[in-house]
Amino acid sequence: MVIQILLLCGLIIFSGLAILFKDLLKAALSLAVASLFLGIIFFRLNAPYAGVFEISVVAGLITVLFILTIALTKKEGEVEEAKLAKVVFPLFFILFLIIDGLVMKSLLQKVPSLPSGPEAGTFGEVLWKQRTFDLVAQIGVIFAGVLAVLALFRKKEDDKDE
Amino acid sequence: MTATTLLWPIVFPAAAAIILFLIPSRIKVVREVLAVLSSLVVLYLGFSLFSQKNLSLVTDWLGMGINFDLRLYHFSSFILLALSGFLFLICLYSAVKMKDHPRVREYYGYVFLAAAFSNGAVLANNFILLVFFWEALLITTYALITLGLKPTSHRTAVKSLIIGGFCDFSMILGIGLLWASTGTLTMDKIHVEPHGLAAAAFILMMIGAIGKAGAMPFHTWIPDAALDAPVSFMAFMPASFEKLLGIYLLARITLDFFELKVGSTLAIILMIIGAATIVLAVFMALIQKDFKKLLSFHAVSQVGYMILGIGTAIPIGIAGGIFHMINHAMYKCGLFLSAGSVEHRTGTTELKKLGGLSREMPWTALGFTVCALAISGVWPLNGFVSKEMVFHGALETGYPIFAIAAWVGAIFTFASFLKAGHSVFFGARSTDVPKTKESEAPIVLPILILAALCITFGVYNKLPLQTFIQPILEGHVEAGEHLDFTAHALSLFNPVAAVSILCLIIALGIHLYGWNRSGKKAYLASEPIHQLPGLRKLYDLSEARFFDLYEQGVKLLQWLSKVLFRFIDRPIDYLYEKVVTAVGRTFTGILQKAHNGQYANYLAWTIGGLVVVIWIILQLLK
Amino acid sequence: MVFSFIVIPLLVAAFLPIIGKFSKKLVPDVLTNAALAFLLFNSILLVKPIFNQGTIVQNVNWFGEKVNLQVALDGFNLFMLFTISLVSLCISLFSIDYLEHYGHKANFYALLLVMIAGMNGLVLVPDLFSIYLFLEVAAVASYALVAFGLGYDELEASFKYLMLSVVASAFALLGITILFGMTGSLSFQAVAQGLQDLNARYVVGVCVAFFIMGFGLKAALVPFHAWLPDAHPSAPAPISAMLSGLLIKVSGVYALFRIIYSVIGMTPVLSQVLMALGTISMVVAALLALGQKDVKRMLAYSSISQVGYIVLGLALGTPLGIAGGLFHLFNHAVAKGLLFLNSGSIQHITGTRNLDELGGLGKRVPITAGTNLVGALSIAGVPPLAGFWSKLIIVIALIQAKQFGYALVAILASILTLWYYLLIQRKAFFGKISEKWLHIKEAPFWMSAANVILALICIFVGIFFTPVFKTWISPAAEALAKGIQQVLMWGI
Repeated sequence: MVIQILLLCGLIIFSGLAILFKDLLKAALSLAVASLFLGIIFFRLNAPYAGVFEISVVAGLITVLFILTIALTKKEGEVEEAKLAKVVFPLFFILFLIIDGLVMKSLLQKVPSLPSGPEAGTFGEVLWKQRTFDLVAQIGVIFAGVLAVLALFRKKEDDKDE
Repeated sequence: MTATTLLWPIVFPAAAAIILFLIPSRIKVVREVLAVLSSLVVLYLGFSLFSQKNLSLVTDWLGMGINFDLRLYHFSSFILLALSGFLFLICLYSAVKMKDHPRVREYYGYVFLAAAFSNGAVLANNFILLVFFWEALLITTYALITLGLKPTSHRTAVKSLIIGGFCDFSMILGIGLLWASTGTLTMDKIHVEPHGLAAAAFILMMIGAIGKAGAMPFHTWIPDAALDAPVSFMAFMPASFEKLLGIYLLARITLDFFELKVGSTLAIILMIIGAATIVLAVFMALIQKDFKKLLSFHAVSQVGYMILGIGTAIPIGIAGGIFHMINHAMYKCGLFLSAGSVEHRTGTTELKKLGGLSREMPWTALGFTVCALAISGVWPLNGFVSKEMVFHGALETGYPIFAIAAWVGAIFTFASFLKAGHSVFFGARSTDVPKTKESEAPIVLPILILAALCITFGVYNKLPLQTFIQPILEGHVEAGEHLDFTAHALSLFNPVAAVSILCLIIALGIHLYGWNRSGKKAYLASEPIHQLPGLRKLYDLSEARFFDLYEQGVKLLQWLSKVLFRFIDRPIDYLYEKVVTAVGRTFTGILQKAHNGQYANYLAWTIGGLVVVIWIILQLLK
Repeated sequence: MVFSFIVIPLLVAAFLPIIGKFSKKLVPDVLTNAALAFLLFNSILLVKPIFNQGTIVQNVNWFGEKVNLQVALDGFNLFMLFTISLVSLCISLFSIDYLEHYGHKANFYALLLVMIAGMNGLVLVPDLFSIYLFLEVAAVASYALVAFGLGYDELEASFKYLMLSVVASAFALLGITILFGMTGSLSFQAVAQGLQDLNARYVVGVCVAFFIMGFGLKAALVPFHAWLPDAHPSAPAPISAMLSGLLIKVSGVYALFRIIYSVIGMTPVLSQVLMALGTISMVVAALLALGQKDVKRMLAYSSISQVGYIVLGLALGTPLGIAGGLFHLFNHAVAKGLLFLNSGSIQHITGTRNLDELGGLGKRVPITAGTNLVGALSIAGVPPLAGFWSKLIIVIALIQAKQFGYALVAILASILTLWYYLLIQRKAFFGKISEKWLHIKEAPFWMSAANVILALICIFVGIFFTPVFKTWISPAAEALAKGIQQVLMWGI
């Protein structure tokens, strides 16, 4: 239980830092660490496939891409970090933990649940046999993302031609 | 004749409307001929259905008791006949008066559409169907007013739409309540005692009916429309069609749907509305300086007699109210048409600029005089008969105050028509308008027909009373009792008639006094009353539309919108824009840097809403 | 085949960017409109089977192997599919001319089709998690489409929309997660069954609150509405029409009520909360609309207000109320689509949307003015147009259920609606024409054509109200009402 809570805290802290850092490199690294925590949580929750994906793709591959891009574009010179952020965020975070603990403790005890059924096969089988529709939807999301990038990062010059 | 014939009075005018609308504007004569012929066909339909008496057409429509249900019986066939007669006269008149109007195409379309909807409303035997036609009439009224092409026409049209919409919605609510308490929407199956919920339904439906008829305080668009709308519209809708429909529904409400008891609270409310309408509107009419506007206030005032008559709940009073409805439609239509005839030739309706036209326009003057005497209730015209009946009815209720109010109305009606006639047709020939001549036959003819009808219905009052009015009341008062209202009809030798005649003499005196005081200028004859110390103030206020509920309502809504914007929307905006972000800046610079102020604001609403929803659900679950 | 509603738009969308390299205008125009016309045709073909059978369940085999691609079509779904196909076809017709000055038509169409595929998928799936996924498909496409103009305002609005929408999705997902955690399954039937066995009133209550917030934000109910008046006006006109006409209803109203009716069960408590939310939206948004100067902003507030009507009708829970709500959903989709397209026409013609600068356009652009009047009157509920009937049914349903207060508010709000629509009509089309607009021309052919089609639908549905109501609305309402019967009152 304690480990669980520590892992969750780490996830939230590093996610917050990823947003807060002005220095892109630090932000990207924080994100990677946050993903790492999430991956571990997945493992602990008996979801090894999700854990592997999270750590290899998000924490690994994407971070490499980020850092590469930042390295290619970054200008010289240090970025000033906001001082207030360093003080206020931890305070806010502690406050959040206290409230969260109070609320969730009383709520969690009230959540009943049915006994879960036997696991139906491997990850691939579950995805292919039972959640096929979700695959279609995933394809749709990827389409939408790619098309959005195509549309929003189109060249302005093209507009003038047409 | 089969039941489907009942569709003809609705379908035929609608088809005519479409055809007339489609004829291009360039083609001139064909349109007018076609319109008059179509109205003749409608008149023929009216006559042939009047001879039919009882017909019924029921087809399944929307389910849930909402059927397409048309019913023809003596009352609706009478109104149908009257409507088609007025349609014919208006078409004849418009053939000349409106022929050069830039949007004549739309004019005829809307007129025939209005006729179709009115016929539908009269024939409907299901409340939802009635509401459908009733509401549709709002659109045609709106459209016809905008055809006035004055700068303020649109504003007046919106005003009529909103006032009409309000009245109609209250009627819909009333119908809803009635439905909830009786469980049926078929009109001829409903007959309840007005208690509790049904009393509320009665009041709401009554507002719908008298609002259509133009009683106070729902009249305010009519005087505006008098100046902003085409004059033939005034003769068509407020003077005849809307009166017929509104009073028809009011009579149905008080006779059929509810059982109105003599002297009950509801009856007294009706009588108060009637009496107040008579007196207040006639005082407004008296001081008007424009011919059409003066007539329009009378159109309001006369509704008061009808409502008062029906509100008495005494057979002779109700008969008087209904008889007054048809009489009023005739002479007020005639009066508006004669005002239109004057406008047609002289280009103005301001009393000040007119005068002494009787020599140049003798037929118009003759028609006007007969109609004016009829509206003032001069023996032996039809107005005299129906007003006498209302006076008798009002006295029989045991509240003489209402009869007195009606008499006061009679005094000033006559006084204002003396002023109008004196200013326009008699007296010295004014120099403001060039020499002119009588209007064309299609304009004069409807006026004279209506004047002749006024005389006929007065002298031979037995004819309409026995053919039209008595069957309506038969069986409603005491079963089997034979009704005869003609006893009082033209009798001059009873105290009521004597008081009425005295009123006319007083009116003459007032007019002559005012005329002398204002240096023999007829259009100023009402000034002594206008300038009376207390009244002056009230007149000024009402000229400034202080008593106009619509204008006040608009002001209130604008004010509300402004208040909401200034005191609720802006402060909240300020709170989120300034306070939240300021608090954010001091306490959580982090949030500030992650989001812009606006977004935090939206998110705050969202999360706040979530918390409130959770809280409410959990509270409700306890 | 039912599955084509998802696959065809996705397939066409996949090929469009490639085709766009070779043909910049003609082929994408034809292909997109043909695809959408096919879907419309398809949905009409399905009416009869649904009318006879009630439900259609179809399975798809992948090269002979059985995979779990199951779609269940009932009256409610079909009604939504038809509405989506109809309105989006008109919108894509409009785009043929309107998109000329944006360029990159192929990309635009591809995104539009992905969004339609997302909405169709959302409507068809009988599974909580799939609902979430398809919600995201439609949402991601819509973020890009709002920003399609690439101006500062568009990008800002799109970002704001994205950020709030993500929060909403997160809460909806949280709700789904809790339900999954409790019952161990995701399909509607299984979850409903599981909840029946569990008796967990409070947790389900909190879950419902998450759904109300998540989907309520997508539907722009009042405390959650703030993004809409920014996002909708900034988008290109066809997209505004798409978002206001369809997306808020499909991803907000449909998803919320599908889950409530088929999984959680409509109970008096929920009904009360939702009716209150609907009424607040109706009134507050109507008052706010009154004060707007920008045509599209006014329309956006009006959308919030009309969604309030729909929610009020659906939340009432009586068969008549549901029918009224659905009917209003359809009418509003058509009429608001029309009005946003019209605002696009106005902007195309004059270059401005500020009501104070417009005036007297009616004579110059009769088609735009006429269709705008039809749309405005239909939404405002003037007979005999379509909107009148749906509002009437909602009010009748409220009176039948003895909710007189709500009925009164609904009627008053409809007067307000009429008022601000007449305001648009008068300021833009009536009155004196200003010098500036003396030489304007009517909108191009396809724009006018789309407007005329939608206006004709408003009139047609209003006049032939009975057959339309019987064929489309009643089966949908029955499907929902049956849901109430099945998911009986347990829990909250």
